[in-house]
Amino acid sequence: MLTTIKPRRRTVILYLIVPVALFVFTVFVPLVTALVYSFFEWKGGPSKQFTGLANYQQLFRDGVFWQAFGHNIYLVVACIIGQIGIAFIMVMFVNSRMARLKGIHRTFGFFPSTISAVCIGLIWSMVYHYKFGLINWFLRIIGRPDLQQVWLNDSKHVMLYVTIPLIWQYIGYYMVIILSAIASINTDVLESAEIDGANGFQKSVYIVLPLIRNTMLVCITLCIAGNMKAFDNIYVMTSGGPGTSSMVMAMWGYKVSFQQSNMGYGSCISVAIFILSLLVIGGSQWAIKRATRNMGD
Amino acid sequence: MTESGKKAKSAVTPGKRVRHGISAVLINLVLIVFSASCIFPIIWMLYSSLKEKRVFNADIIGLPKHPTLINYIRILTNKDYHLAESMWNSVRTTGISIVAIVLFSFIVGYILARVRFKMNRALYVMFLMGMLIPIHSLLVPIYVVFRRCGMSNQWYTLLFPYIAFGLPMGIFLVEGFVRTIPVALEEAAAIDGSSFSYTLWHIIFPICKPILTTVAIIQIFGCWNEFSFALVLIKDVSLQTVPLALTQFKGQFASDYPKQMAAMLITMAPVVVLYFAFSREIIKGMVAGAVKG
Repeated sequence: MLTTIKPRRRTVILYLIVPVALFVFTVFVPLVTALVYSFFEWKGGPSKQFTGLANYQQLFRDGVFWQAFGHNIYLVVACIIGQIGIAFIMVMFVNSRMARLKGIHRTFGFFPSTISAVCIGLIWSMVYHYKFGLINWFLRIIGRPDLQQVWLNDSKHVMLYVTIPLIWQYIGYYMVIILSAIASINTDVLESAEIDGANGFQKSVYIVLPLIRNTMLVCITLCIAGNMKAFDNIYVMTSGGPGTSSMVMAMWGYKVSFQQSNMGYGSCISVAIFILSLLVIGGSQWAIKRATRNMGD
Repeated sequence: MTESGKKAKSAVTPGKRVRHGISAVLINLVLIVFSASCIFPIIWMLYSSLKEKRVFNADIIGLPKHPTLINYIRILTNKDYHLAESMWNSVRTTGISIVAIVLFSFIVGYILARVRFKMNRALYVMFLMGMLIPIHSLLVPIYVVFRRCGMSNQWYTLLFPYIAFGLPMGIFLVEGFVRTIPVALEEAAAIDGSSFSYTLWHIIFPICKPILTTVAIIQIFGCWNEFSFALVLIKDVSLQTVPLALTQFKGQFASDYPKQMAAMLITMAPVVVLYFAFSREIIKGMVAGAVKG
């Protein structure tokens, strides 16, 4: 056998050992550790006490955690509608024959998604600021200073206010992904639809959308996975506050583990985040596949 | 009959043209507002960072009448802010991580695509799981393990998560790419007496350059912008990366926006320059990574 395609065992092992070891150590060892510690009462010090399922019982009664989980779901839904929905509309606009400066819209639109979530969070903190923020400045300009408020202190609507930056940041990202999918559609289909008298809206909903179904699925999956792990923006903008009204799961796990230094329960929350995220991602995939199968091709 | 028909037709056309014109204006208007909103914050920051705090507080939107670099000078010269140090930490961490991710992805991706051995499928599934695992559930556990091993809060600490989390996507991109290369190439090399390693580095590596560039592009932004693992694993101010430093500035300059803006612009500068210099390639790479990964 040729040694190039079938190298010696030792060579393969030598090549693989470092990356595989590094990966196992950084991803799987912590996972197992978290699972083990989730059964202990452990405040981060030297003493640990096995408490069985006590942490999990506490988790089921932990209102803040489930509130945070709800907020993650809120983010997912809002971002699927906001990011992918608006992105799709933008794509239809960019792709229409009347649109000018297409390259600029792509470059500028994509730009925010390359900036760190920390910067985005800081920028929007400035936008929302009571005295020096752009929103209140705008309200003063249009003569409605009565509408001014400390935006991020409004516990009722704070989730909406932290979602807007997230949506804004990634519209361009999904726009570019959808654009590249549409570019690969055979233009004959669209032209014949046009000859048959389909307008822009009909073309996009009845012809383009089904043809790029797989790409839309990828977008939705990315969106769900991205929002189940929301942390950076929220940490910078509100740290989950006021109170717990913008708490998300990762933020709560962080607070419990590092501010209350309750590492045992923190590990339990980590395991819960792991399981819930997989369930939501897997469940949504299954639901979408089922729904689209019923739709027929 | 025909005349009135003609009339009707010509009467419709201008109306249609007007409607067409209105929708053209509307479409372009929406797009321009959208693009402007994406770029405006950075422009606002750019000129506001040239104002003194007093001037900014009096008028947050106006252009600076007497532009000054005082904010930049203060930030870069004041030792308490550690900005230069943070920049260096980010550059070093990102640089080493990218090189390692590219090399490891290449090696593992190639071997998984080409070499048959018992563990092949098991390894493949393991890295696939790495893509599915919600890495944010590792935030606390990684801290526990790393502290236990005395590996938290070191200059090399962040390399581990950054490389490990970058590997799965890189491996899959490379694996998929290598499958499109005809095996005949390696067979011919073997007949000419080329060893496995020689073929790997001198024949396959150059062919894989486009896909490895894609991997590098995706990861540069990922590593430079990563925040949560740095927050958990790094305590030492002199070891913190740029996003971490920025969150501290937020506390220190709570009411000094021009200074905060200057600090943010300095830390964003490398990626912004990179983005606008290579936006076409970067967008292409990111899309390829998102869709295939």
